[in-house]
Amino acid sequence: MERRLQQYFFVLSVLSLLLIVGAAYQASTPAWKRYQKQYVALEAQGEPNAITKAAVLATPPEVHQVMLTGLQRVDRCTTCHLGVEDPTMKNAAEPFRYHENLGPHIPSKFGCTICHGGQGLATEKEDAHGNVEFWQNPLLTKEYIRASCGRCHKDGDVPGVPELSEGKRLFENQGCRGCHKLNGVGGTIGPDLSLEGANHRAPEWLEKHFLTPNAVSTGSAMPNFHFTRDQAKALTYYMLSLTSEDMGSYYSTVRLIPGPEFGRQIFQEKNCINCHNVGGVGQKVGPDLQGVVGRHSPEWLDEQLINPELVYPGSSMPAYDLDGNSRKALMAYLAVVTPADVQALLSQKPHVLSPADVAIEAGRQDFARFGCVGCHGTELQGGVPNPNAQGGEVPSLLHLSDDYTKDEVLAVIRNGRVPPLDNPSGPPPPLYMPAWKKVLSDEDINRVADFLWSKQQKKADAW
Amino acid sequence: MDRRTFFKAGWGAFGLAALVSGVGVSLVAVGRYLMPSVFYEPPQAFKIGTPGDFAFGAPSFLVDQKIYVFRDRDKGFAVASAVCTHLGCTVAHFQSDQKFHCPCHGSIFGADGGVQHGPAPRALDWYEVTLARDGQLRVDKNKVVPPTYRLMV
Amino acid sequence: MNIFREIYQSIVRRDPLSTDKGKTELVFLNVWLHIHPAKVKKEHMKFRHTFYLGFISFFLLLILITTGIALMVYYRPYPAAAYQDMKDLQFVIYMGPFLRGMHRWAAHGMVACVFLHMCRVFYTGSYKKPRQFNWVIGVVLLLLTLGMSFTGYLLPWDQLAYWAITVGTNIGSYAPLVGGMLKEVLLGGHSVGEGALIRFYVLHVAVLPLLVVLFTVVHFWRVRKDGGLSRPVWKLKAPKTAPLVQIGGTAEAVPLAVQAASTEKTYGLMEVVTGKPIFETVTPEEDDDAVFSYPYAFVREGITLMATVTTIMSMAIFLRAPLEELANPAKTPNPAKAPWYFLGLQELVSHSALLGGVVAPALMVIALLVVPYIDRNPSRRPRDRKWAIWLFTAFVVVNLVLIVIGTFFRGPGWALVPPWVHVTGGAE
Repeated sequence: MERRLQQYFFVLSVLSLLLIVGAAYQASTPAWKRYQKQYVALEAQGEPNAITKAAVLATPPEVHQVMLTGLQRVDRCTTCHLGVEDPTMKNAAEPFRYHENLGPHIPSKFGCTICHGGQGLATEKEDAHGNVEFWQNPLLTKEYIRASCGRCHKDGDVPGVPELSEGKRLFENQGCRGCHKLNGVGGTIGPDLSLEGANHRAPEWLEKHFLTPNAVSTGSAMPNFHFTRDQAKALTYYMLSLTSEDMGSYYSTVRLIPGPEFGRQIFQEKNCINCHNVGGVGQKVGPDLQGVVGRHSPEWLDEQLINPELVYPGSSMPAYDLDGNSRKALMAYLAVVTPADVQALLSQKPHVLSPADVAIEAGRQDFARFGCVGCHGTELQGGVPNPNAQGGEVPSLLHLSDDYTKDEVLAVIRNGRVPPLDNPSGPPPPLYMPAWKKVLSDEDINRVADFLWSKQQKKADAW
Repeated sequence: MDRRTFFKAGWGAFGLAALVSGVGVSLVAVGRYLMPSVFYEPPQAFKIGTPGDFAFGAPSFLVDQKIYVFRDRDKGFAVASAVCTHLGCTVAHFQSDQKFHCPCHGSIFGADGGVQHGPAPRALDWYEVTLARDGQLRVDKNKVVPPTYRLMV
Repeated sequence: MNIFREIYQSIVRRDPLSTDKGKTELVFLNVWLHIHPAKVKKEHMKFRHTFYLGFISFFLLLILITTGIALMVYYRPYPAAAYQDMKDLQFVIYMGPFLRGMHRWAAHGMVACVFLHMCRVFYTGSYKKPRQFNWVIGVVLLLLTLGMSFTGYLLPWDQLAYWAITVGTNIGSYAPLVGGMLKEVLLGGHSVGEGALIRFYVLHVAVLPLLVVLFTVVHFWRVRKDGGLSRPVWKLKAPKTAPLVQIGGTAEAVPLAVQAASTEKTYGLMEVVTGKPIFETVTPEEDDDAVFSYPYAFVREGITLMATVTTIMSMAIFLRAPLEELANPAKTPNPAKAPWYFLGLQELVSHSALLGGVVAPALMVIALLVVPYIDRNPSRRPRDRKWAIWLFTAFVVVNLVLIVIGTFFRGPGWALVPPWVHVTGGAE
């Protein structure tokens, strides 16, 4: 017995030795070391002589990480993705391939997960790519990756990502704000969307939700807007870009892409063409702007835009209060401006409207901007389902004047209204008219009413 | 007992008494030391915005403060705690049945916050809401009010 | 060569282990080993009698202290860093997952072993005179073990940690009178936040380990002083009339005390005092049963230690310690569950907060504490103590059933959901 016990003791001790050696071996052979070995071998191939080759091969393995203190993020992706900044790795297989088109987004300043998602702290493939339990922010697929641009580039168009501006436009025009709050403005019927991108919802979920709201979220009060696939995608992009992380201030210099698209907007807004001309199109008070970028240095132009009188004492050009990015954008536009484009701008200039028309037009814009169209429709047709409200749907507004006076309508807009119930003991209908008096000024409310009145269709006489 | 023994014993007893009370005082002091004097938490009284920020009908849920803000046309404003009185989980207000449901142990609170089902020991708290001078609504979590409390604006 | 010999002899001063004196001195002259008697009775070391659960619990404590100190090096106890440090342990720190795994499984194992140890002591009636107070210390150690596990639970600062501690501390707040204050002192605030994290950390790495070590020392000391490990019930002999012995004083002088010499006691050399010879201890017929602790007891303890270590190491290698999402105070997971050993309590709480959360557990603890004083039945034989065994079995079964229900049968909204039915998280 005693001898047997000593044998047990011996066996167990050997077993524990093996286990600790095994654990140490496991700890010292992570997958990333294998990748780094492969990578240095790849690098060494390109070295011309034996000495440098040996030096490259002798690179010790280590964890690479990018610390983004402002965002409290640490990205270790470059531990395996070693070639992202090395153009000679253009044709290398993943994970070593060179990242093209990075532009100013150098990994050492931006890391990777800000755009790509995934788990930056991880060093195992599955964990790092984030398709694991308890990590809700997996890598964005190629299809949706560009949505991340909007997390920093919040204003203006992002070149190469038309979906973002399209999504934003749809959000504002389709009346989403009628039910959803975004950055503090909007209704409370649906959830607040200010942080939708931080909710870690799968892009596929969002896209399905926009196509058929009830398919992914049963009992959703959200009407089906019959978006096209492209529109749903654009909205998905926009949603994904709405995150809590204050990237804007972290990368305050990159808030706006100074692209020609944005420059064109400024050109139109500031009405440059009222004094200047481009290749003869426009006014002759100021100089021709075609080729102006070639004639002067960027610094000169910048100074001219900041303070015209400093460059040309007595210049009649006003000093527009443009920020640095706007000036860059404007110059970018001036570099490509053509007379034909300016002609197009001029033809867009609104024709003269009567003051009454202006008020109605403003009412129409308010009606769209504050989300009324979300339920009542762009043509006031209504028809959005609203279970257990009388009629079962949001009423059309085309025949208001038959049943209401204008004052009554004004009161409903001001104070809101819960629709009368179809079945008084049933649940309240999901949609109702919010009160607008604290959101809209009286002037706005009157304009909306004017707009509604301008659209009234008299019922065909019954007799 | 002569004077000497008395004092001898007396000093000892006094010493022991002092020691015991000293230990007692120290324990009380340690206890007090452990009670936090300041809280690195959102303040218990805070402003939540102007009345216009809140719609009629469905309540607004303020995540950071864990409160539901109700606004009723006839009755005005009321603020309910979203923290289950049972074990502190966050309750959800269902628009469909106008009740609060707790995810942790299935407690259900009625529209007035009263317990209708489950292990919760008491009704949800309703907090005092007042109109501050700058026109903002001010909620004070230190002041619990009856569920009938309403602020008319 | 003499210098090496001298050095060796200055360190090891005992006689060679081949001699009986050497075997005795190995125990007495060594500060770590002298908690053992020089000789043990074979029947005391019967595995079938104790399952070595006390040893295992102690070895798990050693593992916990070692790995815990190692983990402290990389852990920063504030919310912004804690979770990241856990991720670092998981992904980049050399043997981090292994250390964390060992710490975790040893912790769970210790809760289980301490509880089983208590069951063993109860069923063998080993809490009876003269060991009553050591049972009380054991119950305190059980509570301290639970406290260690509970405070350690918060430190990873993930969703599991955050909500388990939220639920757990709210259970505590139902304690009458002091409940609210208790919660505030424990959390350093009104809800789980950075104040709670640092407080739990201090409790976990300083206060509770210190208490556990102190009470363990007392526990061991009393095992010796109360006559060593209790002997198996089936080895119990009919009580002999113990001879009276005198303690202190010479034959002529008045003795300090007169007491019965226990038949179950082994006495150490330090009890040899001047004057009259010490008590008669080893009766001739028991003599063959007594063997030197070296190697008889030590090899058994060594095997237990190595078996414990290998088990925990294997678990650490093959089972990853889980880590959920970063703690999110705004989002309660559904269901939010406390650690498994508190799920019985949580199950009770889900029926009534005050009764289930405070009254029932308080009664349980009090009942455990007073067990040796209300059980006046001197017999340790199972057939003489049916009632006690029935009651205690009911206590164990109720606890286990509650834990099993809480762990496996509770789904979202704490609804009764059998584990084989898969429920996806409810829509928000």
